[in-house]
Amino acid sequence: MTQAYPPVLKLTRISRSFGKVKAVNNVSLQIDRGEVIGLTGENGAGKSTLLKILAGIERPDEGTMEINGKVANFRSPNDAFKAGVGVVHQEQSLFTNLSVAENIEQQNQSRMGLERFGFQNWKRINADAAAVLKKIGVNLDPKARVGDLSFVDRQMVEIARAVCVEPGGDGTPLIILDEPTAVLEQAEVEVLEREILKLKKFASVIFVSHRLDEVLRICDRVLVMRHGVLTSDRSTEGVTKDELFKAMVDDAPTVSTHARSSRPIELKPAIEVQGLTMKGKFRDISFAAYPGRITALVGTNGSGRGRIMRALFGAEEFDGGTIEVAGKPVHNWSIRKAVAAGLAYVPAERKVEGMIGGYSGTRNIALVHPGEAARGQILRPGKMAETAQSWFDRLDVNPNNIKQPLDQFSGGNQQKVVLAKWLNSSDLKVLMLDHPLRGLDVGVSQAVNAEIRKACDHGTAVILIPDTIEEALEMADEIIVLRDGQLSARHDLSVASDLAIKEIVAEMV
Amino acid sequence: MAFLTKLREFSAWHTVAPPLVFFAMLLVVGVFNSNYLGPLGISIATASAAPILLVALGQSMVLNIGSIDLSNAAISLVGAILLAMTIPAFGVGAMIAVLALLTVIGAINGLILAYTHVPSFALTLGTLGILQTTALVVSGSETIYLSENRELVTTLYSAKLFYIPLTFWMGVVVAVAYWVLLRLTRVGQNMTAVGKNESGAILSAIPTKWVKVIAFAISGFTGGLAGIAIVAQAGSASASGLGSALLLPGIAAALVGGTSISGGLTNPLNVVFGALTVAFVPIAIQAIGFNAAAQSLVYGIFIIAVVTLTTTRTRGLVIK
Repeated sequence: MTQAYPPVLKLTRISRSFGKVKAVNNVSLQIDRGEVIGLTGENGAGKSTLLKILAGIERPDEGTMEINGKVANFRSPNDAFKAGVGVVHQEQSLFTNLSVAENIEQQNQSRMGLERFGFQNWKRINADAAAVLKKIGVNLDPKARVGDLSFVDRQMVEIARAVCVEPGGDGTPLIILDEPTAVLEQAEVEVLEREILKLKKFASVIFVSHRLDEVLRICDRVLVMRHGVLTSDRSTEGVTKDELFKAMVDDAPTVSTHARSSRPIELKPAIEVQGLTMKGKFRDISFAAYPGRITALVGTNGSGRGRIMRALFGAEEFDGGTIEVAGKPVHNWSIRKAVAAGLAYVPAERKVEGMIGGYSGTRNIALVHPGEAARGQILRPGKMAETAQSWFDRLDVNPNNIKQPLDQFSGGNQQKVVLAKWLNSSDLKVLMLDHPLRGLDVGVSQAVNAEIRKACDHGTAVILIPDTIEEALEMADEIIVLRDGQLSARHDLSVASDLAIKEIVAEMV
Repeated sequence: MAFLTKLREFSAWHTVAPPLVFFAMLLVVGVFNSNYLGPLGISIATASAAPILLVALGQSMVLNIGSIDLSNAAISLVGAILLAMTIPAFGVGAMIAVLALLTVIGAINGLILAYTHVPSFALTLGTLGILQTTALVVSGSETIYLSENRELVTTLYSAKLFYIPLTFWMGVVVAVAYWVLLRLTRVGQNMTAVGKNESGAILSAIPTKWVKVIAFAISGFTGGLAGIAIVAQAGSASASGLGSALLLPGIAAALVGGTSISGGLTNPLNVVFGALTVAFVPIAIQAIGFNAAAQSLVYGIFIIAVVTLTTTRTRGLVIK
């Protein structure tokens, strides 16, 4: 690690905006040979965008990036790969019906000697893959089918693929692991940790994780991001978890429970779950949501909160526990039954699941609860347009055109229509929202939050998965914290006076 | 190409393109043989278009939910054979019974699709084979002629209203009915929603399985009507006779009528013009005087050109 080598990665004042949101704001950093860097921060802090810039998926608006001393202007993931940046993505991207060797070779762009007379040179492919696996010290059969491997072994194949990058000359590969431990069991995490230490011998590593214990154990240095800004860059020696929390969350460390409307606490929950369990996903979840109250489910991406919400809506199976709606236990729960019982669900994947993009606002709103706009099976076009127009006006949807296909609207305006689709019910009992503010700017976020509160004031029970803890504190009457598929804490905000954000973060990781 | 792109982005284009294409073709043929511009042309085009139209209407309802029904023309043929066998004895009752049976066959296609997740292309390729054999076995590989009650059916073909046979009018009525179903009922709205985005439809509590069963049942029912049109025209039915090659013209007519092969977009009224165009192309080729050997070539090129004109650019880069 002498200074004879240029840094493996050097970022100078890198910025990237989406609309008005600065996802990455003026980030400068440097990574040297053989360093293992931890990157952490809350959801939406800008980690993913920064990774995408490094991986050639996004291009920075400003700033320069140097890899192994050379200025890099990536136009595609392939450019990044050629420059020596290998990424292990959060979602595994392997071809499960191909062999380990085929998966590794697929990434290998040079393909020198891998084809002979236009045919695959299997001997060579398998030998090359074996060499790569040996280099990273993994004992796997190159001919094994990836689909037959365990999750952690597949992660090793992903890493093998990533280390095939070609930094060229005496450059050092940069391997990025994007939350590799989120879905691993404890024993598997240890396998992965040992692997990262092996990588150190010939590569530099960026390790993204929410779990501070792991970061402190594995990494030489830890970077913390908040609202797109790099707020901390420290050696892991001598830094405490507490100091890192402070860098992760906003300066105001505690919030007083603000003047919450005097929502009466009814004794009968709108929906109640007891011991809800899905093997390998979540375990023994019990809580209740009351009319007129907002319950926030807080946790990291791997905490299982999204799946729990989908299970409540009948969109995901569960193998243990009970759900009671309005005091009655449910059987053979399904989306259709859930909606008939007055449940609504605004999914995180808005474009894919939340709406019918090719359909107009009018049609989308008439889809679930047409109300006046349908008499039995028969639709009444006049009433449909009237209903849609009143929602477009009330939520200030822009452009104010109820006939335009929804996929031509911006994300925020789409979300307003998705909300309208559910709020158009005359009998909404439970409103569940998964990341309702994702990708929305401040103005639209306030409008969406106002509608959520309004529904609440009308006696709907709201269950919310917020983007940030601040959002939870602002909106919720009760916060339920989940960690690794289990309930780790609950806070009743109508009673508790002061609650530290870092306290909640500590319960999450 | 820029002009073509602009034309296809014009918002009302996909509603006017199919009739425009048909009338343009009629005009061109009229230049070669002015007889086609009068009653003769209308009569010939609509008569040969009727079975194609009915098969295409069923097909476009299935394409609209994002599936495909390769068996619907075979359903028509089985229907035609059953009709030819039973009408002499049972008259109108036979027609109703056969239509009901074919609707059930279509619904079974839909049920298998909904509950086994076999892709509709593979599933209906299978039922196509089963139905072809059924047609051979039921008919004993012979042509079945209508004896009694013959005029009960053939009148549908020979009786004309404004030079157009009743079989074609039947198609027009069905097209209007399906337009109303898709645009003005919840089940129709749900069908289109499934075709546009099935995940979104599921999470909007749309009964997607029922939507599939209903769409395929409709395809079976409409195939039965095509069977009636076949028997009306030929006065007989056989496994290799009139109507045995309706599958591909049916799909072509749906596409030429502006139906999207990837789902979520169809207008049954335009499928009427799609069927007219597809049925008229072979007639036009003859009228213009192309060599008989080149007919398939011209037909193929023409279909590609017309579908290029009549589809809308809604799916961006995704090409299936």
